[in-house]
Amino acid sequence: MLVPLTYARPVHWGEHGTKPALIKYIFRRILLLIPILLGVTVIVFGIMFLTPGDAAILMLGENAPQAELEALRERLGLNEPAYVQYGLWLSRAVQLDFGRSIRSGRPVTGEITARLPATIELALLATLLSIVIGVPLGVLSATRPNTAVDHSATVLAFGGLAMPVFWQGLIMILLFALVLDWLPPSGKLGGWQYYVLPTITLGTSAIAAITRMTRATMLETLSQDYVRTARSKGVRERSITYRHALRNAMIPIVTVIGLQFGALLSGAVITETIFSWPGIGRLAIDAIRSKDFPVVQGVVMFFALMYAVVNLLTDILYAYLDPRLKTRYS
Amino acid sequence: MRKVLLLIAAAAFAFGGAHAFTLTVAQGSDIVSLSPHNTNDQPSARVMRQIYDTLVVQTEELELVPGLAESWNQVDDVTWDFAIRPGVMFHNGDPLTASDVAFTLNRLRDPAAGAPAAFLVGFISSVEAVDDMTVRIVTNGPFVPMLSHLAHTATSILNERAVTEAGEDYGTAVVVGTGPFRFVSWEVASQVILERNDDWWGGDVGPERVVFRAIVEGTVRAIELEAGAIDIAYALEPRDALRARTNADLTMAEIETLTTSYIGFNAQKAPFDDVRVRQAINHAVDAETIVDVLLEGFGFPATSPISSQVFGSNPDLEAYDFDPERARQLLADAGLAGGFSTTLWTNDNPVRIQIAEIVQAQLADIGINVDVQVLEWSTYLADTAAGAHDMFILGWVTVTADADYGLYALFHSSNFGSAGNRTFWSSDRLDELLDLGRRTVDQDERLAIYYEAQEIINAEAPWIFLNTSIEANATRANVTGFVPHPAGHHRLYNVQKN
Amino acid sequence: MAATTKVVPQRRRSWFALMRSSPRTAIGAIVLVVIVLAAVFAEAISPYPPNQQNLRNRLQPPSAEHLLGTDQFGRDVLSRIIFGGRVSLQVGFIAVGIALAVGGLMGLVAAFYGRWIDSAVSFLVDVLLALPGFLLALAIVAALGPSLVNVMIAVGIANVPQFARITRSAVLQVIEMDFVTAAQAAGSRDQRIMFRHVVPNSLSPVIVQVTLSLAGAILAAAGLSFLGLGAQPPTAEWGSMLNAARPYIRDAHWAVTFPGIAIVVTVLALNMVGDGLRDALDPRRRD
Repeated sequence: MLVPLTYARPVHWGEHGTKPALIKYIFRRILLLIPILLGVTVIVFGIMFLTPGDAAILMLGENAPQAELEALRERLGLNEPAYVQYGLWLSRAVQLDFGRSIRSGRPVTGEITARLPATIELALLATLLSIVIGVPLGVLSATRPNTAVDHSATVLAFGGLAMPVFWQGLIMILLFALVLDWLPPSGKLGGWQYYVLPTITLGTSAIAAITRMTRATMLETLSQDYVRTARSKGVRERSITYRHALRNAMIPIVTVIGLQFGALLSGAVITETIFSWPGIGRLAIDAIRSKDFPVVQGVVMFFALMYAVVNLLTDILYAYLDPRLKTRYS
Repeated sequence: MRKVLLLIAAAAFAFGGAHAFTLTVAQGSDIVSLSPHNTNDQPSARVMRQIYDTLVVQTEELELVPGLAESWNQVDDVTWDFAIRPGVMFHNGDPLTASDVAFTLNRLRDPAAGAPAAFLVGFISSVEAVDDMTVRIVTNGPFVPMLSHLAHTATSILNERAVTEAGEDYGTAVVVGTGPFRFVSWEVASQVILERNDDWWGGDVGPERVVFRAIVEGTVRAIELEAGAIDIAYALEPRDALRARTNADLTMAEIETLTTSYIGFNAQKAPFDDVRVRQAINHAVDAETIVDVLLEGFGFPATSPISSQVFGSNPDLEAYDFDPERARQLLADAGLAGGFSTTLWTNDNPVRIQIAEIVQAQLADIGINVDVQVLEWSTYLADTAAGAHDMFILGWVTVTADADYGLYALFHSSNFGSAGNRTFWSSDRLDELLDLGRRTVDQDERLAIYYEAQEIINAEAPWIFLNTSIEANATRANVTGFVPHPAGHHRLYNVQKN
Repeated sequence: MAATTKVVPQRRRSWFALMRSSPRTAIGAIVLVVIVLAAVFAEAISPYPPNQQNLRNRLQPPSAEHLLGTDQFGRDVLSRIIFGGRVSLQVGFIAVGIALAVGGLMGLVAAFYGRWIDSAVSFLVDVLLALPGFLLALAIVAALGPSLVNVMIAVGIANVPQFARITRSAVLQVIEMDFVTAAQAAGSRDQRIMFRHVVPNSLSPVIVQVTLSLAGAILAAAGLSFLGLGAQPPTAEWGSMLNAARPYIRDAHWAVTFPGIAIVVTVLALNMVGDGLRDALDPRRRD
């Protein structure tokens, strides 16, 4: 949500054009991920460490006897210096052990994995929706620039980017659940109906971003030399659009899809709250409200992991679709 | 009378055919756990109430009647024997024995178990199974209110074998009670499914299945009810409740809760050490407005620290009327005709902040300049316990629905500070009464004791008595037999759906 | 000095050209100017004080007296939206200011000095980018506690990596240019080169990012307020107005609708201007 319009992302890697190079690149990319995720753990631990409030009091209640509080602090290592606490926390975190929830007393990882599928489902559906709508809309716009189609698509895209997720969600519930009574207003009780409103709400800004990106890159590739050459050779317009232009335009589009996934994860926090969706976004909000810091730490780390995996996949796809491979043949 | 009704009901069943139905109930949050030793939150308690039974049952009219304990007798001041009801079976087929009861209460008390509701059995000195069917409880001092504590959901009786065998899984995957419904499944953050226990000792159970859904958004909860996707919605938000009242498809089941919100004075600090100042402020604050604006009328101005639903509540007390003129006069009598400046603390709870603002505006009218300060919760508790405050906003839930729980911690001089008395106000006579209330078995005598206690508190005004609230539950019109409980843990076994 | 005088008139000319050639950008700019003026002169133009309660006049629909109706405390929605605009713009500007100051400096230093400094900054940026921005802000606000100031800090920090990246790449391009090399050869001090020559010539992409980040920051801040983690009552802020009026959405939709529209319009205007600026300023996109 913070970076809806940031399309370009520099990707640093060297020359490669052959399969082994690609594999080497993937390998290196995974290795690079390790220090970055370690850095994230420092941030996540640091944020929570600096938070006012005594975890022992939060766990035992403010009326707990002093001796018990002290014993718990000792047991949790709260009396150790910061770096020792971080070390202890990290050594468990790498095994995906984030301790126990203050609220429920259960292992944080269990609480998260129980809700993870709901969030992944929603994020994937929203991504799918944004591709299925965004790419054709962008292509349509680009092949008919400055027509009514193009202008409407642009208006839609700008509107979608400006729409606050929480406001859109409320309006959609009001309209489709209450006034029209077509869809259930909330929950996830099995049927496909439950997916419609949350998916659209979550996917809107991604649809908009992908539409804009597709339009821009398509316009660019359509003006490239090899497209002109193909045209002059009498290749049909349809084939030009989809065979040549779109294929090349896919690269930046793939990047924006990867980036949008991060925005989707962010949006999931609000969407899940509005639609009572049983995912980890809502878990995060509940945990923040009840100052359940182990859960907050765990959820944030899981979000970072998911985002990292998606970015890794995008970068690999990006490398695979590298334009230098294609242009060589044209 | 009751027999006749039962006969009619039975006849209806015979002719109409006992139809199996699912009852879907929605509340504002998901459960935390179904082990009463793991949590003390309302959404979980509402579900646990259906699965478990307690030794004593507190009816919707706040009568204390036998539950899993068939009877009890007081051996001496501090010793009580409970006779366990014979023939009760747990959902896993085990018979209920005295040792399950002793196990449950001892586990709840055990500091190592870290049960959030352990405070409810703080009065117990020891629990043991005297024989298979008798449990003996020894209390720390005379403690008659214990029966209401043993009726609280948190003291639900567990099956020792199930708890021990399940270990970590108890309360999430494994839940075993003796109650009208057995646990089927819990889809985290989504719903809890229960099914009828046909062997329940308490009699027939209406719904074949009960589904508890967690619907966070208040408006959405109301919409789901209006659309008929759920049968009962708990605790509608005031605005939705107003709408539900006029909806012919719905039936309201409103009940005054056990919560009182208040603003406490630091009664040891000038000028709040002068009762006239405390009374003046009570006259200057219009609790009616707070009820109307923040609760859309779903509440009552408070007359005492406990709501009218609490046993011992004095019905004859009157709220301080809104009378700025009288307030100014009282201030003048106290030598503060020109008013004064003070602070009002609240934690970052939006409703409390709004209350603070309304009070700030109203006190400005009588020349009291109030600075509202919002504090972080743990700081808030620590500093009010230390007596660093002038005025502070808090709420109190008398969870046992007994006056002792609502008064002793908050007003006894032995509880100054973090133990609950954050106003640091006390009176010898009140201390005496509150101690007597714990010792007196005769219900009428107890009532008289608490009536007097509340008269003293009302007159001395260590609080601004703000308001109690109404829980606005609503059902579809075809749902019958839903009777709300003031504690909010409504029993569902009697509910029917046509 | 020479560099500065060269840049300014050129930018002014292209600004007018941009407005003429792109009506979308012009509309966005006009709307934005109106919003900013309304925020600046809020006291003068808003019909009522934003926090003035009138409990007898609650949830009134739009009328001549209250053009956008009243909220649950009988406060004038229009006045609160006007003052809310001031808060939202303030949050946006300060958050982006923090991001620009911290991120811009990081990017500048990284690009200028290169080597291990560059590696360190790039690593930090990668780490910050590994967390989706809103989540990072959410975690920071969760830790610092709910308040407007903390929202500014959180949203600011969450935007730091974007600015670091963009500044770094913009500066890298400028550094290669002749006049910088010439200045270096002439023995000018680093600071002088940086702020006299490099910074003024790297501004274009940063300005674009500022506009777009403003939009994002306002949305993010409203989102946090909506979750109850931002502005606290009675502060009029669009997100918290929405949050507070949420229970009344069916009785008094105006208390929810209009703050929502205010957010959409502002963000839309910022995005349109930002998009237009990018088209005009980004050489890669110039036709």
